[in-house]
Amino acid sequence: MSNNRVSRRQFLNYTLTGVGGFMAAGMLMPMVRFAVDPVLAKKGGGEYVLTEKKVSDLTEKPEKVDFTYEQADAWYKSDVTDNAWVYKDGDKIIAISPVCKHLGCTVNWDGDPAHPNQFFCPCHAGRYEKNGKNIPKTPPLGPLDQFQVKEKDGFLMIGKVIPNTMVKQ
Amino acid sequence: MYWNGKDIEIFTAQKEFIDTAIVPLTKLSGALDQIKQSASSAEFLMSLTAFVEQQFKGRIVMLPPLLYTAAMNQADLLEKIHEELQVAGFKYIFFMTTDHSWTSLNDLYDLLWLPSIPLESMDQKMKQAVLGDQLRQIIPILSQKWR
Repeated sequence: MSNNRVSRRQFLNYTLTGVGGFMAAGMLMPMVRFAVDPVLAKKGGGEYVLTEKKVSDLTEKPEKVDFTYEQADAWYKSDVTDNAWVYKDGDKIIAISPVCKHLGCTVNWDGDPAHPNQFFCPCHAGRYEKNGKNIPKTPPLGPLDQFQVKEKDGFLMIGKVIPNTMVKQ
Repeated sequence: MYWNGKDIEIFTAQKEFIDTAIVPLTKLSGALDQIKQSASSAEFLMSLTAFVEQQFKGRIVMLPPLLYTAAMNQADLLEKIHEELQVAGFKYIFFMTTDHSWTSLNDLYDLLWLPSIPLESMDQKMKQAVLGDQLRQIIPILSQKWR
């Protein structure tokens, strides 16, 4: 029974290994956490916002749909209302961002009587086709962005901005 | 654009496209019978100018509002600000206000006068509708100048 006695040396070895192990783990844990942080981060901005627009009411003519979300700018939190130009292309719902790719003004569908069935930017007369393609010889250099869209209980949901998927550059 | 560091960098690089400055004029009145009106008008003007900025971001620089009282010399204020904005290189300089007393300077400067609408009791949707209506009044004035 007393043959298994732990010597003073062994006891110290075990204790040091144990304590050292805890210390090493304590140091490594945060490092690992930092390293894999992007994986753990919650994805912001990827959420969909519910609009009051019924999907069944959409037509082939682009229509302005408002949606509201909360935005934080340092200490200042506010409800921001944005809008999208939404239309149906066959069965697909297309939501075009109204932000002009030139310098960021807001474009309007049918905004210029001289050029019907186009998006028009009132700032520098930039024009886009229905799918967002910029018309050559007007200031914008790229197509309008799109929003991700989803349907929930018959209502339209709008997600984050994505580059135009319909126009091939 | 706004009068902030980032936007002004874009302005200095793209002066041929960004050529318009708008200065909101907000009256400060402290007397008990005018204080509510003063604050409510400022609220309306700030909401409206933010909306104008959003619509015409790529051509307009929206300046911080000028706060003044009835005792200040209005003609002198406008003259100095107008001069300085010309130094900055703006081709079109507008002043936006809900105070009727500025309209006497209409011949000298581009003044956008609008009657103040109290927004404080409206919900978000109603506000947007009202501001949208007001914006439609302003667009033709701007595009006429730009032409």
